[in-house]
Amino acid sequence: MAVSRVTFAHASEAELARLFDFYRVDWQYEPRSFPIAWNEHGRPVEFFTPDFYLPEHDIYIELTVAKPARNSRKNRKLRLLRSHHPCVNVKLFTRRDAERVFSRLKRAS
Amino acid sequence: MIGDPLFDSESIAGRVAAIAAAISHDYSGKRPLMLGLLTAAATFLGDLAKGLSIPCDVDFISVTNYGDGEGIVVEQDATIPVAGRHVILVDDTVDTGLRLQYVVKRLLERAPASLAVCTLLDRPHRRIVDIEIKYRAFEVPDVFVVGYGLDYLGRYRELPALYAHGTWPA
Repeated sequence: MAVSRVTFAHASEAELARLFDFYRVDWQYEPRSFPIAWNEHGRPVEFFTPDFYLPEHDIYIELTVAKPARNSRKNRKLRLLRSHHPCVNVKLFTRRDAERVFSRLKRAS
Repeated sequence: MIGDPLFDSESIAGRVAAIAAAISHDYSGKRPLMLGLLTAAATFLGDLAKGLSIPCDVDFISVTNYGDGEGIVVEQDATIPVAGRHVILVDDTVDTGLRLQYVVKRLLERAPASLAVCTLLDRPHRRIVDIEIKYRAFEVPDVFVVGYGLDYLGRYRELPALYAHGTWPA
């Protein structure tokens, strides 16, 4: 998928997509929503949509740009996702991870 | 900017010797091709090769850094053919695994007899793509590391130990 053809919710997501493009890693942006809570009739009432899917590696990446103290809602959703969909491989990539990786990879080498 | 070593030269020498012994055991009767990823892995590879008790070949490969150009490419290729060889790819640091997976894929296209990865530093908490690391010297916390071949904007490669740098490059 090309970065220019996607509207990202956050600039950090576009940066991560550019990183995948640079390393020639195929990616999809928010390709699937997973139900994580159901009502008494068994209908899903809450979903979690990871930001990226890397098909070659069969892994979902959730990029969180909020400060750690504000991540509790996302962490709860991630816990529910892992609990209800144990076969789904999802990794949380934090704001700090992103900042470190982007800066390290840009350094002169 | 840098203080006490994260890993002093004695600790590094001990880990390098242990990995060299493991490689010598695992590749007994073979002549592996030790392939270093330039530039930061050169110091590690040099010491590693000296510690082997088996014959080996040494070569280097370099790839584009993130931010240089549209996409990663092999900038300087190995001069020794990889086909049919037992290759040990030596990297300085594995974090996301993105650069490594590109290099591994390119090397596997050349049909080596086997391919293993050896790294000086590993940050598994940063991994995006899973890559099997057969030999690792140190797992490092969330600090920027310089020395022993690793640089900060071109500096500190010559230091004999590994240090945590106070800041990450912007």
